[in-house]
Amino acid sequence: MDRWVHPALFFFLGSLLLPFLKGKVKKFFLLFIPALSMVDVAMMKPGIYGSYTFLKMTLIFGRVDKLSLVFAWVFVIMAFLGALYALHVKKDGHHIAGSFYVGSSLGAVFGGDYFTVFIFWEIMAFSSVFLVWYRANKRSIDAGFRYLLVHIFGGLLFFTGMMLYYYKVGNLLFLANQPGNAGLAEYLILAGFALNAAVLPLHAWLPDAYPEATVEGAVFLCAFTTKTAVYVLARGFAGFEVLAILGTAMTVYGVFYAVIENDMRRVLAYHIISQVGYMVAGIGIGTALAVNGACAHAFAHILYKALLFMGAGAVLYMAGTAKLSELGGMYKCMPLTMIFYIVGAVSISGFPLFSGFVSKSMIVASAHEAGRLNLLALMELAGIGTFLSVGLKVTYFAFFGKRETPAIAAEEPPKNMLWAMGITSALCFIIGVYPQVLYDLLPFPVEYRPYTASHLSEMLQLLSFTGLVFFLLVKKLVPEDKINLDMDYVYRKGGRLFMKLDEKVFAVIDTVWGEIYRTLGLRVLFNEAEFLYGFDKKVIDGVVDGSALSVRGVGSVVRRLQTGRIQVYIGCAVLILFLVLWFVVYGM
Amino acid sequence: MNILGYIEFLRRHMKTLKWVLMVYLVALVLLDVLLHLEEAPGHFFIDRIWAFWTIFGIIGCSLLIRVAKAIAHLFLSKNEDYYG
Repeated sequence: MDRWVHPALFFFLGSLLLPFLKGKVKKFFLLFIPALSMVDVAMMKPGIYGSYTFLKMTLIFGRVDKLSLVFAWVFVIMAFLGALYALHVKKDGHHIAGSFYVGSSLGAVFGGDYFTVFIFWEIMAFSSVFLVWYRANKRSIDAGFRYLLVHIFGGLLFFTGMMLYYYKVGNLLFLANQPGNAGLAEYLILAGFALNAAVLPLHAWLPDAYPEATVEGAVFLCAFTTKTAVYVLARGFAGFEVLAILGTAMTVYGVFYAVIENDMRRVLAYHIISQVGYMVAGIGIGTALAVNGACAHAFAHILYKALLFMGAGAVLYMAGTAKLSELGGMYKCMPLTMIFYIVGAVSISGFPLFSGFVSKSMIVASAHEAGRLNLLALMELAGIGTFLSVGLKVTYFAFFGKRETPAIAAEEPPKNMLWAMGITSALCFIIGVYPQVLYDLLPFPVEYRPYTASHLSEMLQLLSFTGLVFFLLVKKLVPEDKINLDMDYVYRKGGRLFMKLDEKVFAVIDTVWGEIYRTLGLRVLFNEAEFLYGFDKKVIDGVVDGSALSVRGVGSVVRRLQTGRIQVYIGCAVLILFLVLWFVVYGM
Repeated sequence: MNILGYIEFLRRHMKTLKWVLMVYLVALVLLDVLLHLEEAPGHFFIDRIWAFWTIFGIIGCSLLIRVAKAIAHLFLSKNEDYYG
């Protein structure tokens, strides 16, 4: 196909038509947009498309190769499943935010230069936050603002890195960076990407915001932001040792919190950190098998994590809570939801015949192959924790437990939700049974066979004995109605500390200063003016004409500086910032 | 589809189910030993120890539960309204 159509266009333009459609037509259209983009992606041939020159920079909107295609594929599939799950939502704004979020993720994936990626990166942050805000309670609105501020900070890291990169290299083409000659510019870009991938210690926004999102919004959120970040890391920073270490740390950190968390969706949010940790570690190890594994795991992860969020969301939607301490015995009233949830849980845990088994093991195998036994051991430990918290703890305390009757009388969710969960479950199973379907999409040609006797034995031992220990120690794991502190403590309490400091110290200084100025400063000015006026009038009147005028001029300038108009101060701050940037850029 | 019926059936026969699972666990360990006798030993020590992943699973899982809970109770857990 010579003509290339950017799949993001379908989402951007299509979603704007939504407010004009009604009833069944609208529902059909919601599914039609992602279906059309699927056809578009299926017809793409590798190449460079949509290249423009803007302010002497080359903007590339369509870099199509195997790496961008594998992510594009899973994004459009996920967009379809997410739309199906959210079909009952009445608010147009929710659908539009979701569509812009998906479209901008696709834009970032196909972007061939940093500037294009940056534009879509920012649209992603600003559209996704609405999926949190539409929950429309105080917690979600607060969490949304924190989410946005953190992502703006991440965007600034990326932007600063990008500018420094431009002055170092002379263009903004987004190519693979070499760990050997990476400097401040590359590492700032890396930090911006890492923030979106929830790499420690820049991860706290994720378990803070996702559990406060709408039921349907969380399904979108869990798929796109972190996986777009995984894509850009795989594209630009494969083989960076820091990613191997931080990624492995993430795998364990996530499950550690998942073991102690009470909210179902927060447990799952911590598991995003854990699972993305595998991908980041794979990218850090950087061999062909490892990067392939990261891509395969991203693909599988998007599906089973969405499935888990759909299941937990269905419980929240129907029962009104996702807190494990308030649930129990739900298998009686929501058996289908339970089965779909369990399919997601065994997929993420890496049971044979399900998707996690064929994707996660590629990364673990690459650590083994590279002789990184410490990384391997920690990844396997995280694997244990995954099954323990998502597979056993949540399933047991939400759907079973000691209760004979359901804790909350609920029903199965609406049909569209069940269908979305059913199709996603089927995909998890198909990938687990026919992994070649997934392997054929991967960027590097690598022979890998997951179904060997020793791998089967290893996984079954790990998972089965984890199950044994769970039932022996189940009393220790009884969920508690608590929250757990994380890195967001720094800015949530830090922000409050600053407000207090402002109230107690700065405000007092300001008042005192104002008082001093009023009593002393003005009097001095008045006296000075009076003196000068007298001096002018009596002594040199007529000699230096107009000095009285000039004193009055100074007075009015001082008055203008003291307007207290916030926009003037912001304007000054921006001006100073530009001056600093100018010095930084030209000074180098 | 009678999902509930199957679950209730399993719940009624908990004792038998426990025995079946125990036999399954023992069989897993034995199979791993057999596998080690059949195949050539791998590069690393983890590939050579019999039932390594059984030991790793038991120790890892109990450690994870106990350490996580201990740290949570020590200073991580706070009431829902902690941030106001």
